[in-house]
Amino acid sequence: MASSVLTRPPAFRSVGRSLLLTLPISLWSLLMFTPSFMHSGRDSHIGAAVVIVFMTTLFYEMMRTGKTYRWRRWFFVALGFLFPVGFIAALIALRGTMSIPIERMVSGDTPFCYMVIPMLVVPAALTRAVVFPGSILPTANNPHSIAVMIGIWLGMTLVVGKAWCSYICFFGGIEEGFAGIAKRAKIRRLDSRLRLVPWAILIFVVVLSAALFEPVYCMWLCPFKAVTEYPAVHSVETAIQMSIFITLFAGLVVALPFLTKKRTQCAYFCPFGAFQSLFNKINLFEIRFDREKCVDCTLCQTACPTQALSAESIREGRTLMNCMKCGACVDSCKKDAAVWHLKGTKVALKPERARLLFLYGAWAMATMFGGSILANSLATMLHWLPWK
Amino acid sequence: MAVFPFSTYATEALVLGLVTGPVCLASCGPVVLPWMLVQPHGFRTHARQLAIFLASRLLGYLLFASAIWFAGAALSRSWSGRTWMFGVIQVLLAAGLLVYAVGWPHAHCSLAGGRPKLVQITNADAESTRPRPSGAAALGFLTGINLCPPFLVAGLRASQLPTLSAALLFFSVFFVGTAVWFVPFLSLGVVRRTPSFLTVARMVAVLLACWYGYSGASILIERAVYG
Repeated sequence: MASSVLTRPPAFRSVGRSLLLTLPISLWSLLMFTPSFMHSGRDSHIGAAVVIVFMTTLFYEMMRTGKTYRWRRWFFVALGFLFPVGFIAALIALRGTMSIPIERMVSGDTPFCYMVIPMLVVPAALTRAVVFPGSILPTANNPHSIAVMIGIWLGMTLVVGKAWCSYICFFGGIEEGFAGIAKRAKIRRLDSRLRLVPWAILIFVVVLSAALFEPVYCMWLCPFKAVTEYPAVHSVETAIQMSIFITLFAGLVVALPFLTKKRTQCAYFCPFGAFQSLFNKINLFEIRFDREKCVDCTLCQTACPTQALSAESIREGRTLMNCMKCGACVDSCKKDAAVWHLKGTKVALKPERARLLFLYGAWAMATMFGGSILANSLATMLHWLPWK
Repeated sequence: MAVFPFSTYATEALVLGLVTGPVCLASCGPVVLPWMLVQPHGFRTHARQLAIFLASRLLGYLLFASAIWFAGAALSRSWSGRTWMFGVIQVLLAAGLLVYAVGWPHAHCSLAGGRPKLVQITNADAESTRPRPSGAAALGFLTGINLCPPFLVAGLRASQLPTLSAALLFFSVFFVGTAVWFVPFLSLGVVRRTPSFLTVARMVAVLLACWYGYSGASILIERAVYG
């Protein structure tokens, strides 16, 4: 009986069974936020409690409805919009400005962002030095050191692979939010070759970072500098850099997602996303298509936010390498042809079991990393309430 | 006639080349990598292209060695002359990369000849029939006279040598030391080329051309404005 339940993605699970399946995530959430309850103030307690309820409720809904993308999206958009709030508040409290003064860079106080990771490899191999003005180990001023962030990234990447981009990344939620505003896409036809651009940008920033010995993406191309931190504008060059950041953010993160209902920055620009695609090769989970059920209706292709499906790949029963396992294609498929799959097993044999295994890992990581960001941002917002 | 202890200088030049090779690799990598990526699949093709590139780079080295020996260390030490030269070389590198990225001089003589190749899915078989030695030679020569830090150190040392032949030999051995670091680029030859691969390679070349163009232009504008 239990086996037959697990072999078919159910439209609805019973409340009791859904609660039972949610229990591990509830316990994990409590475990993650116990330090917040023990050491922090009232604002942090409220933030942590809200996040525990929020993450547990979303997971419960995933279990009850069998839908993934629909519920994951709430968390992801909240993460995308709340991360800048907490981050900017921390910068203002620490420095009084969003810009990075040169003396802060020299002292290694720049928080390390995972976007830099692909740019570290070649210069480190050639010169045994790190092309980022941060500290290797955590300091009092900068707990987000290079070693800590690389450790977090490596651990989570091994668990979720490219799903990092739809469960962990605190930037992708912003464009997913803007993509969800319009009811219909104003621009529907996008050249499929655009999905190759992130690979070109990845090679470009890796090679040039080695040549210039600086993180080129952060210095010149990161759209999210517009809502996080940026080099202080004191010359024509820094003014050009700032205008590039703002233009890319306005175009790729706000305007184009709104017009296309796609995550355009992730799909057509982000070099880190291309880098993460490589880890899809070694990750255990993937989305596959049951060719016996598929009727080539292309609903999944339309639903995919990053053009990770092509007619050819669907014919082969696979996604493209850049699939971030958000679950949009599975949710949209009316024939249950798009299924979660554990590598090494027969396609569509026990898709719900594969989904559960994946979601436990991904949601646990999301709660640990994104959940703590959400809790901090909520605590910051509570701290700033005007009537307090 | 002064006694020329060649073995001493040769050892010094070789060690200098080997030690500073990673910096050379980082300096020339942005030019070599996209160039090698757009080449047709095959180890031999890549070996030939890399050989042409390195030979042209050697020619650039030797011309610079001659110039620096006649001019003493002035050329190497002159900040103004160096930045002008650096700016011009970067603009030329940008033009070279852009030209080869869009395939303009190699476009077939058809009505579609003017269309940039960047936005076309190209045919890998057709690519293989089009060797581009002139491109490798041009880019190799430009990177050969590109004034990267190891090159300037070698230039300063060469200017102190007693004879022109000594300076040329010094640069030749220095070149051998740095060239060893380029051998890994041959591994790109075994990567199978697909239309997507070639499109990505062309995009990389265009991006790097934009960077070199910006960098060179900003140097030239800065020199023109501030002297």
